[in-house]
Amino acid sequence: MAIARDASEIAPPLEQAPARPTGRLLRRYAPIGIGIVLAVAMIVIAAAAPLIAPLSPSAQYSDAVLKGPGFMDRHALGTDEFGRDIYSRIIWGTRISLQVGLASVIFGFAIGVPLGILAGVQGGRCETSIMRCADMLMAFPTLLLALIIVTALGGTLVNEIIAIGIALTPNFVRLARSLALQIREQDYIMAARSIGSSQLRVMARHVFPNALYALVVVATLYIATAIRTEASLSFLGLGIPPPTPSWGNILSEGRQYIKCCPWITTFSGVAIMMAVLAFNLMGDALRDLLDPRLKGE
Amino acid sequence: MFKYVLRRLIVAIPMLLGAMSIVFFAMRILPGDPCIAMMGDQATTEALADCTKNLGLHRPLAVQYADYIWRSVQFDFGKSLRQGYPVSEYIARMFPHTLILVLAAAVVAALVGVPVGILSALKRRNPLIDYPLRIFALLGLSMPVFWLGILLLIFFSLRLDWFPLIGAGDLDGVINMVKTGEMFQYPRDFFAAVLDVLHHLALPALALGFTLAATVSRLSRSAMLEVISQDYIRTARAKGQVERAVVYKHALRNMLVPLLTIIGLFVAIALTGTVLTETVFTRPGLGKMLVDAIGARDYPLAQGAITVFTMIIIVVNLVVDMLYAVVDPRITYR
Repeated sequence: MAIARDASEIAPPLEQAPARPTGRLLRRYAPIGIGIVLAVAMIVIAAAAPLIAPLSPSAQYSDAVLKGPGFMDRHALGTDEFGRDIYSRIIWGTRISLQVGLASVIFGFAIGVPLGILAGVQGGRCETSIMRCADMLMAFPTLLLALIIVTALGGTLVNEIIAIGIALTPNFVRLARSLALQIREQDYIMAARSIGSSQLRVMARHVFPNALYALVVVATLYIATAIRTEASLSFLGLGIPPPTPSWGNILSEGRQYIKCCPWITTFSGVAIMMAVLAFNLMGDALRDLLDPRLKGE
Repeated sequence: MFKYVLRRLIVAIPMLLGAMSIVFFAMRILPGDPCIAMMGDQATTEALADCTKNLGLHRPLAVQYADYIWRSVQFDFGKSLRQGYPVSEYIARMFPHTLILVLAAAVVAALVGVPVGILSALKRRNPLIDYPLRIFALLGLSMPVFWLGILLLIFFSLRLDWFPLIGAGDLDGVINMVKTGEMFQYPRDFFAAVLDVLHHLALPALALGFTLAATVSRLSRSAMLEVISQDYIRTARAKGQVERAVVYKHALRNMLVPLLTIIGLFVAIALTGTVLTETVFTRPGLGKMLVDAIGARDYPLAQGAITVFTMIIIVVNLVVDMLYAVVDPRITYR
């Protein structure tokens, strides 16, 4: 085995060490950049739907039933079986997906995180009972639980938000509990207790803020899950009923016409995929940036 | 070990009961009367009252609940409101369809997902390999299974006419031939029937398998990254072992524990996926049965399907927990 004669053979000269910083920065920030651009675009489209959509999403054009896409035409992405403009419906559908995605995650977060922190900090019977309830809900996959609840409550926007929110809650409970278990052992918690802080104050002023960044990262990923679940429920005919445009029900209605008119399912599917991709990219990139163990990988 | 198994079983029982209770009460607050759903709006009040009595829906909710739990633990989910025959029989007929779909998707997911995940972890410093593999995983995660299914149908069934558009082949016939031993008397017919089943299975398995492969590859990647950062890997390399031996002899073996966790997660995702996949491909199975039962407000059928789904998930997680100690002797159960 050859033995290195001096240090320069083992380690490269210092000036060569920070190689290609632009490439490294691009590698690191490109996914979050793409994710943010896609997510912001989605928010803008949802907010400005009445201005961006060229036609009404429910207007029926009898002269253009099942018309194919023509990018210079009145119906750029074609029409459905009632002659409704697919492009306008997809733009309006962004509102539903985004509303359900954000609101259900906020719902799950608002219920799950306090319960999880309480379980983690309090311990004992309180922890056992909260965690057993969470485990019970975790026995159902997200879609299945949302499907049961939305079936029971009926397919409206609010019910869908509640159903998906409840289905996501146990995930937040488990994560918040595991974070609280780590945080409660920290010195600053002991210091807070020693100056007489109440349990509620410890949880609200110390545990929650320290758990927040990890919870936000996971919440971003759950927005993607919520959007996909909403689309799945609508696809199964259990979500928001037609004629309200949602990506899932546009896709579901278009299924009957895949032989002649595949554009209906194709474009609505692309919209779902882009939205889910945006939040997956953002969540992944945030996690990589904020988790020091993954830095440099 | 025995004590641990017992303790886990004891914990699993209230979990299952809780899950069954959620299903029962959710089904009972469903909007709409199942008798009206069955008999139509034109049914007379007397006919509706008779129907309600026959189905036992006139009894107090608590009595219905106790009856449901007691019968469910004996795998008696009552009779389907629409079809009229026992739910357990219906589930038994549908179960093989869902099982072969999950197994075939698992094969696709394992063959694609595990190597992709491992390669992506080992070549993480080579962006030309790692990036395309990570993009593949991200696309798979973001692509809804029902959309991928429709794209496959458009391309392979409608455009190329390589695969059938709907159905699942004669799986019941294949099972019967195996049971009665006819597979040996008529081997040609048997293989033709098996091929037909596989022909119908290919696209659904590919659609479900691809979306699962994305999850599997990401989990395998992080499992591999975790393993190769361990001290024993560094020791093996320091001893001068070639990289292939390090991977095969040390890393892959130690990846088995995280891979088992993946299998536990996998079953839950796969079962959810079957609900959508079977609906897209109009295949018989537990998932499609559940969606149809909900649409028809067939309480017993929907309850039975969801209960079976939940049971499978709880049992698989339990088995995975048990297997940890078999795979890794360092894990002990106290």
